[in-house]
Amino acid sequence: MRRRKFLTLMGAAGAGLALGKTPAHAASNAHFEGYPDAKAVLFDATRCIGCRKCEEACNKVNKLPAPAKPFTDLTVLDTERRTSAKAHTVVNKYMPAGAAAPVFRKIQCNHCQEPACASACFVRAFKKNPDGSVTYDASVCVGCRYCIMACPFNVPTYEYDEPLTPRVMKCTMCHPQITAGELSVPGCVGACPKEALVYGRRKDILKIAHARIEANPGRYVDHVYGEREMGGTNWLTLSGAPFKEIGMREDLGVTSAPELTSGALAVVPMVAALWPALLGGIWAISKRNEKTADEERAAAVKAAVAGNQAENDAKLAKFKEQAEKDKAGSIEREVKKALEEAAAAAKEEEGA
Amino acid sequence: MKARPLLRWAGVLCVFAAVSVYCIEASGSGDPKAPAAEQADIVLIDDMTAYGKLELPPVVFAHDKHTEALKKAGKDCAACHKQENGKLVLKFMRVADGDAQAMKSVYHDNCIGCHAQTAAKGQKAGPQDGQCRSCHNPKAAAGKQLDMGFTNVLHYRHAESKDIASPSGDKDNCGRCHHEYDKAAKKTVWAKGKEGTCRYCHLDKPVKDAALGVEVESFRQAAHNDCVTCHLGMEQKKQATGPVLCAGCHGATGQKSIRANDKKVLDKIGGELPRMKRGQPDAAVIAVNVDKAQAASGARIYAMRPAPFDHKAHEQATDTCRACHHKSMDSCTKCHTVQGTKDSNFVTLETAMHGLASTRSCVGCHQTRQADPKCAGCHTSADRGKKASNESCRKCHAEPVQGLPALDPAALSGMKAADEKPLAEPYLAARRMEAQVFATEDIPEKVTIKVLADEYEPSELPHRKIVMTLLKNMKDDKLAGYFHGDMGTVCQGCHHNSPVSKTPPSCASCHAKPFSPNEPGRPGLKAAYHGQCMGCHTAMKLEKPVATDCANGCHKPRKK
Ligand code: SF4
Ligand code: SF4
Repeated sequence: MRRRKFLTLMGAAGAGLALGKTPAHAASNAHFEGYPDAKAVLFDATRCIGCRKCEEACNKVNKLPAPAKPFTDLTVLDTERRTSAKAHTVVNKYMPAGAAAPVFRKIQCNHCQEPACASACFVRAFKKNPDGSVTYDASVCVGCRYCIMACPFNVPTYEYDEPLTPRVMKCTMCHPQITAGELSVPGCVGACPKEALVYGRRKDILKIAHARIEANPGRYVDHVYGEREMGGTNWLTLSGAPFKEIGMREDLGVTSAPELTSGALAVVPMVAALWPALLGGIWAISKRNEKTADEERAAAVKAAVAGNQAENDAKLAKFKEQAEKDKAGSIEREVKKALEEAAAAAKEEEGA
Repeated sequence: MKARPLLRWAGVLCVFAAVSVYCIEASGSGDPKAPAAEQADIVLIDDMTAYGKLELPPVVFAHDKHTEALKKAGKDCAACHKQENGKLVLKFMRVADGDAQAMKSVYHDNCIGCHAQTAAKGQKAGPQDGQCRSCHNPKAAAGKQLDMGFTNVLHYRHAESKDIASPSGDKDNCGRCHHEYDKAAKKTVWAKGKEGTCRYCHLDKPVKDAALGVEVESFRQAAHNDCVTCHLGMEQKKQATGPVLCAGCHGATGQKSIRANDKKVLDKIGGELPRMKRGQPDAAVIAVNVDKAQAASGARIYAMRPAPFDHKAHEQATDTCRACHHKSMDSCTKCHTVQGTKDSNFVTLETAMHGLASTRSCVGCHQTRQADPKCAGCHTSADRGKKASNESCRKCHAEPVQGLPALDPAALSGMKAADEKPLAEPYLAARRMEAQVFATEDIPEKVTIKVLADEYEPSELPHRKIVMTLLKNMKDDKLAGYFHGDMGTVCQGCHHNSPVSKTPPSCASCHAKPFSPNEPGRPGLKAAYHGQCMGCHTAMKLEKPVATDCANGCHKPRKK
């Protein structure tokens, strides 16, 4: 049973690995530069005070259920959270090394210029709108949740406790409300007391972001997160602390997900051309069980982490010690052993 | 179940990846952790680099550790250092460097020789012959010496010490340390009245002075030769004296105890240091150097108004003379002219006085003082690099005052400091050195901000209290007092970008519209308020109200 758990865990990680390592074989040289008048939001972590007013506004404009703890309860910030079906945006608190005060970061859908979620969806439930937002149409969704797997920012979530019509849930950049004229800027942007969030044409917003870096030497890391990450996003972030210290991936590269797998979204919008290449790895895992796959994997990962933590630590310590004594030899042996073990395990499972 | 083998192989790959990661980690984890000790005494012996490529890494040597071990064995500095002219030579077991072979022998014979002798006596000893890597160890902890500077207090303690006698029987003992080289007499002598800081002549590296025909020691050599040998001599005579071990000057604990003693001395004399006896002016006038011939020809002279300068006050405010007089004890305008000179590295007078990049310039130094939390609220980083106002120019560049002597750049050029004093003093005396605000009744006591009231009740700003606190923060601070000496300057901390006035425009006059990317520098009203209040509170390190404590801080929740 333990091996099974382990392999499930490794399989999940392996799929991630395979995805990350896929060489760019974009056949096309056309790169989707984003819609010309697309909007963007700039989040400036040096301005954010962690008040959660944005979370509250998001909850209100999207008519989401009231949370267990009120938005004024800031103890919520003590645990790192991710977005959920009931919270399209969350603010997390980080204590970067050497920082005098905590730094807050707001998470929501980054509204990629060439969204991985959209390219993963073979029924085209996701749409990149000319205003920059990425929205989802529940009426065509078949519930495969490939979008959830594909998103490099871990954003979309699923309404697991919705028995009849579960939907994929994520931030819409308030596209419906803005289109309907109910709002002029996204709910969170309007609510922020510090203008830590500003909304405008992506072109202008980028200029503003660079101007802030320029005008305040030493205040910011000289990088606008989202300018080029994963082909660029319509939610941009400025930070004074290194981005990975505030929980942002720095390993994504500048190539968009669809470009990594087939061709740019704008060039090859053909469903059939897009999904097989991207989903090779993920498909293998997701397919083997229907509805419960995610839960099972999550549970397995959790159990494996909890159950084997002490054991792993001890093993690692011992291995390190040994490796130091006789580096080359022992490492080689360990690699061989591990490979053999895993291969044997694979065989055994195969036979079973 | 085709998916299964695929899954297994993913697992296999992962294990492989994980093991590779361990390997990389394991192979890179050889560095020993640096010990927790201060390491102020760790010296890198790399003399051999002067002779070509090193065969083995330089030696990492713990000086104080050796001094203490020798002391216990009944030996002293002479065990490792020779003497020349009654002074300890800092080099190890030699007076001068020889060729590479000789140098190698000096170290190997003496270090290993002593270690072997000690070991022969059955005592704990250092590495022996054949244990090359114990000394030539590239992984040993690097030294961490804190810089040691001779501050004004330390100077005073030396100058006033009865134990340090003047070499010439003079009542002042300056000549005990300050010297210059007398070529004829072939020795250093005291040049009275020309004392400067050691660093003017003793540079980073020893330099051959062709004119004097000597090699001038580096600052490091000079400081150790003179300070440490003097301390040692006094210690031998059982007199109270300064540090002799590395850690005494270059370790954190050593410096702490020096500062504690400084404080004791300061307390004893009432907290204010007497001025140095160097004949420096109390007051001077800093003026552009004007070409006399040009002035005499009747040509119109274009020059910035001269600036009366309170030299005495600035002596009190700085810790060393070289804080301003970085190259020589001369007046600034000697090297820094309008165009700049080769001597000034073509740093013009204008830059020398106003450059923000240097803490030696007037404005640069004044600006560092704004980092004090008491000041930082208004003087946030945001106003760095902003052009100074005309009012602030006039603060230094004196406008003519009726009844006071005119400050004429042409007349001032080349004038002796002593003659400048009577010109400068009346201007300095006329200065208002205390911060001013409008009459109390003109400062609104409370300002109620209701434009945005919605979820919360209108916010009440304790306006007068804020102004008075800022004013109180400037009390007894001459710098702040002088630069806030005009009514309304303090108000500009919040009421920025608008003319000074008793009734400045309301925040909403500029910030009424919501944020627009077309005017990215102008926040909307809500962000303007929050940015201003919270920015200031954070810069001033005020703990309350907490920025996120809306309902208990500045806003009362509105009853529904
Ligand atoms: S952040 Fe994730 S959910 Fe949002 S657009 Fe990009 S891929 Fe899709
Ligand atoms: S509302 Fe603004 S300041 Fe408050 S947590 Fe959200 S982004 Fe940060």
